[in-house]
Amino acid sequence: MISSNQLRFSYSAQKKFSFPDIHCNDKETLLILGQSGKGKTTLLHLLALLLTPESGDVVIAGKSIKNLTPQEITATRARNIGIIYQRPHFVSSLSVMDNILLSNYLANQKEDRQKARHLAEQLGFADHLSKKTNQLSQGEQQRVSIARSLMNNPNIILADEPTSNLDDDNCQRVIQLLKKQSAQIGASLVVVTHDQRLKDEFSNQVFL
Amino acid sequence: MNLFKISIANLREKKLNSFLSALLLTLGIGMISLLLLLNKQLDEQFKRNLKGIDMVVGAKGSPLQVILSSIYQIDAPTGNIPLAEVNALRKNPFVKTVIPLSMGDNYQGFRILGTTPKYVEHFNAKLAEGHLYNASMEVTIGSKVARDSRLKIGDQFSGSHGLDSEGEKHEDKKYKVVGIFQPSGTVVDQLIITRLSSVWDIHEHSEGAEAPAVAEVEHTDGQVHTDPEPDEEGKDVTSALIQFRNPMGLMTIPRQINDNTSMQAALPSIEINRLFSLLGVGIETLRTLALIIISIAGVSVFISLYNSLKDRKYEMALMLSMGATRTRLFLMLLIEGLSLAVIGFFAGIIASRVGLWVFSKSAEQDFHYSLGKFALLPEEVYLFFGALAIGVVAAALPSLGIYRLNISRTLAEE
Repeated sequence: MISSNQLRFSYSAQKKFSFPDIHCNDKETLLILGQSGKGKTTLLHLLALLLTPESGDVVIAGKSIKNLTPQEITATRARNIGIIYQRPHFVSSLSVMDNILLSNYLANQKEDRQKARHLAEQLGFADHLSKKTNQLSQGEQQRVSIARSLMNNPNIILADEPTSNLDDDNCQRVIQLLKKQSAQIGASLVVVTHDQRLKDEFSNQVFL
Repeated sequence: MNLFKISIANLREKKLNSFLSALLLTLGIGMISLLLLLNKQLDEQFKRNLKGIDMVVGAKGSPLQVILSSIYQIDAPTGNIPLAEVNALRKNPFVKTVIPLSMGDNYQGFRILGTTPKYVEHFNAKLAEGHLYNASMEVTIGSKVARDSRLKIGDQFSGSHGLDSEGEKHEDKKYKVVGIFQPSGTVVDQLIITRLSSVWDIHEHSEGAEAPAVAEVEHTDGQVHTDPEPDEEGKDVTSALIQFRNPMGLMTIPRQINDNTSMQAALPSIEINRLFSLLGVGIETLRTLALIIISIAGVSVFISLYNSLKDRKYEMALMLSMGATRTRLFLMLLIEGLSLAVIGFFAGIIASRVGLWVFSKSAEQDFHYSLGKFALLPEEVYLFFGALAIGVVAAALPSLGIYRLNISRTLAEE
């Protein structure tokens, strides 16, 4: 479950954002649509606790993030939030498998190889686990980053433009997988995008 | 998964950069380590053979040459001195022992040294088999001589004139091996030791003052001498090793000899210090060069990490967003620098041993000295920590940027 309350953020005096409140329960999905420059990524980073809001609050799994220390924020993010970025990025020196396991390691969780293999099978890249990530296609890379975001059984999955670099086939496939996987672990799925193709896939929508 | 594994993966990802950094460290460490090894072993070899010899008397010439030829057997002797003058030194109350030496022949490059039993006593040489030479033309050989020339007890051989193996052979007179010394790590290992009289018997030069290395060969059958400390009128020796009874000898005797006799006195401690200070210039230059190479290695680690960090900024932000603490990532980068330092150190230590082995081979061929001690020196432990320090500093400087990295902006930029 994730919700926000009167979030405001400013990069400078001219560049100020105030965001509509959002709310997404467990097992629900939410699409946040907006054109470039509307602060989509800023909102996602606020929700992902990568930025600290000027005012307002974010509630993650029923707990307000106000008054948390930076260490607690990092731990909360690692344990509760899985993030999928617009362009999939990885630690290029590590294999696909190790990149997925990295989210366990960095969140101080036990490394679950079986789960990683299982996710790879479900997401259709089980043959590529020992390859380097740059040997994979964009669609495959995006599926790897989905697997990575699911490794710690997060409460919330945040996706920043997950489909904007993908063709229609891959776009459909990735969004279906995202919905299916987040439903399986009972997480809230929040997708931030300008990709109009996703409009019909989500019942709950917020426009920036 | 652990930090070490990620660090190594990162190093392997940038193979050439890592290789260059490690190679420079290897070179620097290898050079310093080789210098330490050579310095120590030369020092040991020189000190060990020098022990208990306060003065050497020889023909006038370079005092360093007298020392090198008489104690270390690596240079040509300066000439001959009359045995009578040498023996006159025994009467001096400050003199404890006088060991006359006579040389001029070799067998397969190993010097044949005519001397008194005191010489063997002085170097504390123990017999491995057989017995000490007793009669003229009997020899007892050092362990290295036995090993390399394959001479055994009972074998007979004829020496060659001069100090290298190309000299003319004394075919008509043969030496007989009667004993072999145990290895002692001293100059005795590489010598064929015999009575003074054997050398006279072989040569019997009409004019005694000629340098043995250039004298024409002129054989006449000599008399057989059997007394242990011969005092032959008209006989020459090459030099003599002198031990003083007390330090007072050092004050007066050398000057007396230099002023009043045809001989010259050389003091080993002074000459060897002079030799080392001459060598020292070269060693100092090499050491400076090695330190420069090590510094360049440090700079190379720095640049390579700095560049790779610029490339990997997004990776770092990603790992931070996934729950990594900045300190953890800082450690990861430190491990990269440290791993290079450790690799460079051990490769350097191995390289220095290979270098020493090559050097030792050639030293053995030219001087019969072997420098085959490959154990880790205590100084190399300091060198290890020095290398680690360079790795840490070179890695830490660029890696401090991790504490200033803006996660959100870095992730949003691409």
